[in-house]
Amino acid sequence: MVNALILIALGLGAAFLIGLLPSRWRGLAYAITLAALAAMAAIAGGWVWYFAMEGGQALEIHTAGTPPPFAVALHLGMAEAVLTLLVTVTSLLSAIYLKDTLHRLGRRAMAVLLILTMSLAGIILTRDLFNLYVFIELMVIATAGLVLLSASRFALGAGFKYLIISQLVSILMLIGLIFAYHATGTLNIDGMADAALITRQGGMLAFFLLFIAMLAELKPFPANGWALDLYESAHPAFSAILSSAIAGAAALYAVDKLLLIGGTEWLPVATAVGLTSFVAANLLALPQDKDRRLLGYSSIGQVGLILVVIGQQDILGDDYLFIAGGILLSHAVAKAGLFWLSGFIPEQGLSAWSVLRQRPLLLFGFVTFIAMLTGLPPFPGFYAKWELMGALADADRIGVMILLLFAALVEAAYLFRWFGYVIKREPNEGIAQPRPPLRKCLVVHSATAIGWGLAWVWGELSVHANLLHALPLLFALGFLLIEGLPAWLKNSVAIAGLLAWFWLSYPGYDPMQLIFGAVILVGGALILLASYHAHGKRIGFYPSAMLMYAGLAMLIVAETSFQFFAAWELLTIGSYFLILRGKHSEPHALSYLVFSLGGAFLILAGFSLAAQGADIFLVSALSELSEPLAPWIFALLAIGFMTKTAAIGLHIWLPGAHAEAETDVSPMVSGILLKAGVFGLITLALTMGKQQLFGIELTHVMLWIGALSALIGNLLAAFQEDAKRLLAYSSIGQMGYALFGIAMMNHLGLLMALMFVINHYIYKSMLFLSVGGIAKRTGTRDMYRMGGLITLMPLSFIAVLIGIIAVSGVPPLSGFGGRWITYNAIIDIETRLPLVILFLAGPIAFLYLFRLIHTIFLGQLKDEHRKLKEAPFWILLPQMIFVVCLMIFALVPGLALRHVDNYINQFYPGGGLDWAGLTITSQYGYWAPIPIMVVVGAIFATLFLWLVFVNRKAQKVKQFNIVFAAERPHRPETTHFAWNFFAPYRKALGFLTEPYVTRFWETISEALHSGADLTRRIYTGNGQTYAIHLLAFVVAVYLLGVGL
Amino acid sequence: MIRHLAVLLLLLGLGAAFAGLMAGYTPDEELNLTGRYYAENTAKDIGAANIVTAIIVTYRGLDTLGEVTVLFLTATIVGMVLARGRRERALQLELPPPGELLETGSRLLAPLILLLGAYVFINGHLTPGGGFQGGAILASAILLLLLTYPTRRFGHRMITVVESVSGLAFISLGVLGLLFAGGFLDNRILPLGEYGSIFSAGAIPIIYAFVGLKVGAEFSSMLVNLSETEGK
Amino acid sequence: MMAEVAMATGFMLVLIGLYGALTNRNILRIIVSFTLATTGVNLVMVAVGYMHGRTAPILDEAVPAAEAVARIIDPLPQALVLTAIVIGLGVTTLMLAYAYKLHESKGSLDITKFTELKW
Repeated sequence: MVNALILIALGLGAAFLIGLLPSRWRGLAYAITLAALAAMAAIAGGWVWYFAMEGGQALEIHTAGTPPPFAVALHLGMAEAVLTLLVTVTSLLSAIYLKDTLHRLGRRAMAVLLILTMSLAGIILTRDLFNLYVFIELMVIATAGLVLLSASRFALGAGFKYLIISQLVSILMLIGLIFAYHATGTLNIDGMADAALITRQGGMLAFFLLFIAMLAELKPFPANGWALDLYESAHPAFSAILSSAIAGAAALYAVDKLLLIGGTEWLPVATAVGLTSFVAANLLALPQDKDRRLLGYSSIGQVGLILVVIGQQDILGDDYLFIAGGILLSHAVAKAGLFWLSGFIPEQGLSAWSVLRQRPLLLFGFVTFIAMLTGLPPFPGFYAKWELMGALADADRIGVMILLLFAALVEAAYLFRWFGYVIKREPNEGIAQPRPPLRKCLVVHSATAIGWGLAWVWGELSVHANLLHALPLLFALGFLLIEGLPAWLKNSVAIAGLLAWFWLSYPGYDPMQLIFGAVILVGGALILLASYHAHGKRIGFYPSAMLMYAGLAMLIVAETSFQFFAAWELLTIGSYFLILRGKHSEPHALSYLVFSLGGAFLILAGFSLAAQGADIFLVSALSELSEPLAPWIFALLAIGFMTKTAAIGLHIWLPGAHAEAETDVSPMVSGILLKAGVFGLITLALTMGKQQLFGIELTHVMLWIGALSALIGNLLAAFQEDAKRLLAYSSIGQMGYALFGIAMMNHLGLLMALMFVINHYIYKSMLFLSVGGIAKRTGTRDMYRMGGLITLMPLSFIAVLIGIIAVSGVPPLSGFGGRWITYNAIIDIETRLPLVILFLAGPIAFLYLFRLIHTIFLGQLKDEHRKLKEAPFWILLPQMIFVVCLMIFALVPGLALRHVDNYINQFYPGGGLDWAGLTITSQYGYWAPIPIMVVVGAIFATLFLWLVFVNRKAQKVKQFNIVFAAERPHRPETTHFAWNFFAPYRKALGFLTEPYVTRFWETISEALHSGADLTRRIYTGNGQTYAIHLLAFVVAVYLLGVGL
Repeated sequence: MIRHLAVLLLLLGLGAAFAGLMAGYTPDEELNLTGRYYAENTAKDIGAANIVTAIIVTYRGLDTLGEVTVLFLTATIVGMVLARGRRERALQLELPPPGELLETGSRLLAPLILLLGAYVFINGHLTPGGGFQGGAILASAILLLLLTYPTRRFGHRMITVVESVSGLAFISLGVLGLLFAGGFLDNRILPLGEYGSIFSAGAIPIIYAFVGLKVGAEFSSMLVNLSETEGK
Repeated sequence: MMAEVAMATGFMLVLIGLYGALTNRNILRIIVSFTLATTGVNLVMVAVGYMHGRTAPILDEAVPAAEAVARIIDPLPQALVLTAIVIGLGVTTLMLAYAYKLHESKGSLDITKFTELKW
C-alpha cells in the first residue's frame, strides 16, 4: 500500500524534473513522463488490489501531522482507488498515443499532462473543500493548456471559451465555499456533513453555490456549448482524457462527495439535472454528423446518466457502487476508445469511419465500444442497467425510468446508425486508408481488452450468473478467434455446435421447450446447410449468427427474468449484425434494431416492475403478481414481445429486414428468430393469463391485434412486386395467426400457436431459400422480371409448390392441420368480429401464394433467362429436406403434437384432442391425415392427367409471336402481366394497405430530428453566450431547487 | 440590447442569492472550531509566529503546493500558447534607447529589490509576508530590467532551472515530512528552534524560501514570455 | 458593520464584473471584467473572516500566544484568499496569452468572431 501522497508527489515531481532537462532531450523527458504515469497507475492498481483482494479498509490520510479539519486530509477507499486507476491508465495510454505530438511540443506539454493527471487524482482523493477547489483549478488550467495539443486552428477559441466558463465557475465556488466555512467552522467535507451545513443559517445557499459550480463541470444541458466545442477541436487523445477521466471520473466523484454534505435533500436536484442532460444531449446528437462532436454529445449524455445514478443513491443501497461503477467504467473505456479511434479517421464525417472496415481488429474495438455505451450484454453497463431499473421500479420512480429508457433508445439509435455507416457506406473519394502506427493501435486494443475484462469482472460481481460463463455465448464468441478459417469449415463447426448443444440440452427440455429447441437448434443447423454455398471466409457471419442462436438457446431455458432478458438482448444484437450483412439492408437493420431495443426496454421495464426489488425473480413467478401492477406488467411484456413478432403497428421493420437479408439469413431471421417473440408471448399467457386494464381484457386486445396482423399482413403481401418482400409480409400475417391462437387462452388455441411455430419455420424457411436461390440466378427479386422458370428450375418449383400448399392450409399438407386446429379452437370463443377478420385473411393468403408461383414459374420465359441453371445445390438441399419434413409432419402430426397436447393439459385442462392411432379427434370432428392425403392425391392425379390429355391438341406458338403496338411505354415493366398483378383487389381493399403505420413512425422520427436540429442552434459558438447559458442554468436551478 | 437585458435579469437572480447569503450572515463573536485550534496550537506545534504562514505552509501545505503548481502550469502553458505557430522573424522593432536615468536607476534598484524579496520570504513565518509576496517582489526586479532592456533575451534556462529545482525541493521536503515526521509537508522534520527567531518553525523558512524562489521564477517566466511577444 | 460594507462592496464588484464580462464583446474587456469580479470574491472572503475589534493573526509582543484566542481574527480565510488570489492571477495570465494568440489569428478581439465551432 503506497501512501496516496506519494502518487501526487510523483506526478508533480516528474513534471518539475523534466523542466530541468535541456529542451533537446525530448526522448528522455518523454521516457520520464511515461515512467511516472506508469508508476502512478501501478500504485493505484496496488490500491485496487488491496481493497478488492485483501479486503482492506478505507483509510484517512492526514497531512502535516495534524488531523482534519485543521489540516488537509485525503480519503482512500475502493471508489477512490478504482477511479484513480482509471484516471492514471487513461493518461498513460493517451500519453503513449500522443508520442509524436508530445515530442513536437516538447517537455512543456508533457509537464502539463503529468500535472493534469496528478490533479485528477487529487480531486478524487481529497476530502477538503478548498483543496478540492485548488485541484479543480489545476485541472481547468491544465485542460486549457492541453487543448493546444490539437492541430485544429479552432482549438484556441475553444480553450478561451472554456476559460471564460471556468472563471464563472470558480467565482461561484469560492463564494459558496467561504460561506460554507463560515457556517460550519470547517473545510473538511465529512466535517461539514456532520455539522449539517444545509440546516445552518445561510448554509443552504452556500451549498447551492458550491454544488452548482461543481455541476457546471459536468457540462449539464444547456450550459455545455463550450464542452462540445472542446470535444470537437481538441486532440482526440486529449478528448479521451476529457471525456473519461476529467468529466467521467474526477468531476463526477467530486459531485458525489459534495452530496455527502447536501444529503438526500439535494439528490433530486442531481437527478433532475442529470436526466435533462441525458435526454437532451442524446436528442441533440441525432442530427449530428461530425464524429467528435457526436462523441461529445454522447459523453455529456453519459455523464448525465451517471449523475442520475448518483442522484438515486438513496434507493440503490449496497448496489450503488456496482451500478454507478458499471456505467461509469463502461462509458470511460468506450469513450476513450472511440476518441482514440477517431484519431485514425482522415475526415470528421461519420461515413468516413467506413475506412475501419479494412482493419478487423479496430472494427471489433469499435463494436465493443458501441455495445458498452448502449449497455448491451455482457458488458458492465448491462448489469448496471438491470439493477438500476429494478431499484427504480421498486421505489416507484417510474418517470425516471421512462426518461432513462427513452434516452437510452435514442442513444442506441444514433450509435448504431453510425455503426451501419461503418459497415455499409463507402468512404468519400480520395480518402486515404489510414495507416496508424502500431503503438496507437495497441492503445485502442488495450481499451478493447479492458472492456472485455470489465465485462468479466462485472459478471463475477453480479448476483446473477456471469454471462461470460454461458457456454452458448462463449461458443459464439469463439468464432471471432477462428475468423481466418474458410467458411465451409466454420459452417461445419457451427452445425456441429448447434446439434451438440441440442443433444446436451435435450433431456432437460419440457415438451414445449423441445418444440422451440428443435426449431432453433436442429432447424438452425438445417438452414446452415445452405450456407455451404458461400465461398471465401465470410468474415462476420458466424459470430453474428451464432450470437443469435446462443441468445435463442439461452432464452428457452431461462429461469430468471435476468437470464431471459440477457438472452433476449443477445439474440437481438446477433440478429441485427446478421441482418445488416444484406447488400441494401443498412436502414432496415437500423429500424429493426431500434424497434427491437425499444421492445427490449419495455420488457426490461416490465420485469423490473415485476421483481419488486427482489434480486432474483423467476419467470414462473409472473403468475403470482396481483393488481394493480399485474396488468401493466402484462401490457409492457406483451408489447415488447410483439415487436419481435412484428404485430401490426410494430411491424414496419420486418419487410425490409427480412427481404434485404442474405439468402441464407432470411430463413434464419424469419423462420427461427420470430419464434422468440412467440415463445415470450406463450410464456406470458401461461403465467399471467387474463389481465384487465381499465376494464379491458388485455388478451382480447391481443386477439384483435392478431386478427388485424393476419389480415393486413396478408393483404400487403398480395400487393408486393418483390418476391422476398412478399414472403416477409406473409410472415406478419402468419405471426398474426400465432398471436391470435395464444390470445384465445384455451387449449386448442395454444396448440394452434405451437403448430404455427413448426409449420411457419418449415415452409417459410423453404420458401425464402427457394426464392433466394432463384433471385441469385436471375439477379432480381422482382417477380415481373421473372416467369416461365418451371422448366429451368424444377426443384425450386417443387419446393415452392409444396410450400404454398402448406402455407395456404389446404389439404393434404400440415398447413391444413394448423387450420383444422384453428377452426376447432375458434368455434368456442365468443368474440365474433376478430374471428370474422381472421377468416377473411385466409383467402387473401391464396392471392399472394398464387402470385408467387404463377409469376415466377409459369407464364413466358424471359429472353435473358434462357440459359439459367437450377439453384445451387447447397441451397436446394435444405429445401428438399424441408419437403420431406412437411410430408412426414403432414402424415404423422401426432409425432410432436401429442406430447405438447398432453403438456398443455397442465395449463388448460380439458378441451384437448384425442390422438388414437393416426386419427385425431376433437369434439367437432376428426382429422385423419393419411386418408386425406390419399384422397387429395387421387383428385390431383386425375385432374393432372385430364389436363395432359386436353392439352395434347393445343397449338404451340413461338414465344414472340405477338403483335407489337407502335407505342413504347415509359416503364416497360408495366406491360408485364405480373406487374401490379392484383390491381382490382388493390382498388377495392387498397385503403387497408395505406402506410399509415409507417407514416406514424416516420413522423415521430422526423419530429425528433427537426426538433433537435432547431434546439441545437442555441450553441451559437459564442463563448459569451455560453457563459450566459451557464448563468441562466444557475439561476434556473436556484429558482427551481432552492427558491421554490 | 436583448442580451444586456437578459444578463441584467440573470444577474438580478444571482444578486438575490447573494443578498440571501448576506442576510443570513452574522459575524462570529468567537473563533470557530478551526480558528480556535490554530490560535491555541500554532505556537507550540508549529512554532511560527505568523499563524497565516503556518496554515499556508504546513496545515494547508498541500493547497500551497497546488498553488505553486498553478503558477508553474500557467507559466508553462503561456510558453506553449505563445510558442504555438510562432515564426521567428529576424526583423525586430526598433525601440528608443531606455535612457540614462532608467538604466542607472534599474541597475541600482534591481539588486535591492531582489534583496527585499529575499528578506520578505525568509521572514515569512514571523512577519506579514512570505513566499508569494517575496516572489512577487523578486519578479518586479525582473520586470524593471525588462522595461529597461526590452530587446534583451533573458535567461530562460536559468529561470526554468530555478523553478524546477525549487519545485522539486518543495516536494522533497514534503515527502521528508511523510517519512520522518507526522505526515506530508510536516514542518517538524527540523527542530522547532527558539520561538520568534529567524531559525524557528522547523522547515517553514526553508519551504517558504523555495516557494519564494519558485514564485519569483514563475512570474519572471510569464513576464519574459509575454514581453517577448513585443516587437514581433 | 465594517464587514457588511466590505461584503456588500465585494458582491457588487462581482455583479458588476460579471455584467461587464457578459456584455462586452471585446476579449480584453472581458478579461478585465473577470479580474474585477475575482477581486470582489476575494473581498467577500476576507470580509467573512473579519471579526470586530480583533487584530491580525500574527503573534508577537503585542499579541502573546496565550491571549491569541481572544485577540486575533480567524486566520484561515486569510490563507485561503492568498491562494485564491494567486490562482486568479494564473488564470488571468493564461487568458491574456490566449487573447494575444486569438488576436494574432484573426486580427480582431471581438468574441463574436470566434464562432466557427457550433451546433
